Amino acid sequence: MRILRYWLSVLVCFLLTPGFCQTGNFSHEWQFARYLSEKEANDEAAFVLHAFNKQSLTASQLDSLAYLTGWLAYSTKSLDEASSHLLSVSPTSSFYNKSRYFGAYCLAFQHQLDSAGAIMQELPATDSTLIELKAFEQAGVALLQRRYSRYDTLRQQFSYSSYALSAEETRLDAYRKGLAAQKRRSPALAGLFSAVLPGSGKVYAGKSKQGIAAFLPLLTLGLLTWEGYRKDGSTSLRFLGFGSLFTVFYIGNIWGSTLAVKVRRDEFNRGYDNKILFDMHIPLRNLLNR
Amino acid sequence: MTTRFCLICTFLCGICSIASAQNPLAQADSLFASGQFLVARVGYERVLYTAESPDIQVGAAMGKARCLKQQGLYAQAVAFLNGQIQPSYPDSLLYSLRREQILCAYLAGQFENALSLLERLPYLHSDVPVSPLLMAIRVLSLNELRRWPEASVAYHELAVMAQTDTLSVPYRQVPELKSEKKAQWLSTFIPGAGQFYAGRPGEAVLSIVMQSAGLYFGVTSFLQGYYLSAWGVGAGLFGSFHAGGVRRAEVLVRQLNQRKAAAFNANVRQQVLEMVK
Repeated sequence: MRILRYWLSVLVCFLLTPGFCQTGNFSHEWQFARYLSEKEANDEAAFVLHAFNKQSLTASQLDSLAYLTGWLAYSTKSLDEASSHLLSVSPTSSFYNKSRYFGAYCLAFQHQLDSAGAIMQELPATDSTLIELKAFEQAGVALLQRRYSRYDTLRQQFSYSSYALSAEETRLDAYRKGLAAQKRRSPALAGLFSAVLPGSGKVYAGKSKQGIAAFLPLLTLGLLTWEGYRKDGSTSLRFLGFGSLFTVFYIGNIWGSTLAVKVRRDEFNRGYDNKILFDMHIPLRNLLNR
Repeated sequence: MTTRFCLICTFLCGICSIASAQNPLAQADSLFASGQFLVARVGYERVLYTAESPDIQVGAAMGKARCLKQQGLYAQAVAFLNGQIQPSYPDSLLYSLRREQILCAYLAGQFENALSLLERLPYLHSDVPVSPLLMAIRVLSLNELRRWPEASVAYHELAVMAQTDTLSVPYRQVPELKSEKKAQWLSTFIPGAGQFYAGRPGEAVLSIVMQSAGLYFGVTSFLQGYYLSAWGVGAGLFGSFHAGGVRRAEVLVRQLNQRKAAAFNANVRQQVLEMVK
């Protein structure tokens, strides 16, 4: 009986060892994954993080795991995965602030502006720098949404004196002015211009080179059609052939001019969106990525 | 009873720790041998994370570089080894890391980088004789960059070192590359001549026919009084095919040069690899 008890205690000891190791191991393995992530050994870090058995982790360990998985996804520009992991970190975690700010930014980058705005509304801001950063990020989202009045309200909180924010705040103001000064062009008017003078609609839309490139072949085709009509009459193959080509290009140019307005507008907006997102990112990295 | 229990535990723990302490690279090495390269990379990184001995650290770094090479991630291997070169390591270990980095740079197609790293080696490790493999990499990198006169000198040095035949030097028949500029000029003034120069008579004939057709249409239209058609269609077609022909001649010469250089380099590579086998 004593021998049995003795062997039983040895067995229990061995069975419990992995349990203790799992708890003790988490910190070691997490630190190892972080070391790999900092070394930009992203595949290896992802492998280590995926090896964790989530069932056996405590809430705080799950938070640390979610943070590092999200951060790794952010580093590899998998922003969808990054936002979902970073935003799942609970407020009790020491990574909460950083996760929240970066998670919201990842959403803004993916143009999920309503969700990003809602999360930024609740961002933790414990000191004056974070309060200003929060206002700055919200103002960035307001500009991305083209909500100028909201931007003007939020920019009241800009101090323009913080080392990490002043340059970006000034630039955000410049973007706001640039966006407000955008000329509203009408696709219908562009089409009308091109109907009167081929290519002029594209010039009106802001695509001058395309306008000239459209005008020259249409002028040539128009002249060839006129020559066919003048020399061979309205039933000649020459007139009908060149006339048909001219008509197709003429109508196509009108349609292209209406589209050019939209294309130009999209290019303009995309250019400003990229600049805004870039400037929203810099203070986050400077203030929170420590 | 308690004593026996403690002794058994100590024995088991001792066995475990001895097994792992004997060779920290053993597990990663066995994973590498079984072809599990990603897991092996993690294993080597684990060793790098914990080990303090330079020997083991360099062993782990070389192991990870081998894994990356097996996975074809040569550029990643170059960057990784760059981060592993620590001035505090002994010279012999640094040399093996740098040697591996040069090899990876060549395999990654970073020929300029491979040459630059090779040129630094005699200054950093003046006591180490140049290895035939590194000389071979120098020859092959110079070849890829089409610096054949320098490659010829390096090849001769390698042949002397490898004690092989130095008379049958492949660089006596270096490919004569054609000039893209010359092809452009030829096609500008004589339609199709650039394509002939590039060794593509079929394309040359096609170019001549297309340009002639445009010109013929233009001239006949003009003679019949269709002045606008002569200009808009005839001259337009001729001009387009002429400009296209000039650009095409340039592309054809570039492709021809690439083929010639690749064939020559493949031949030299074969001979160089035979030498260093």
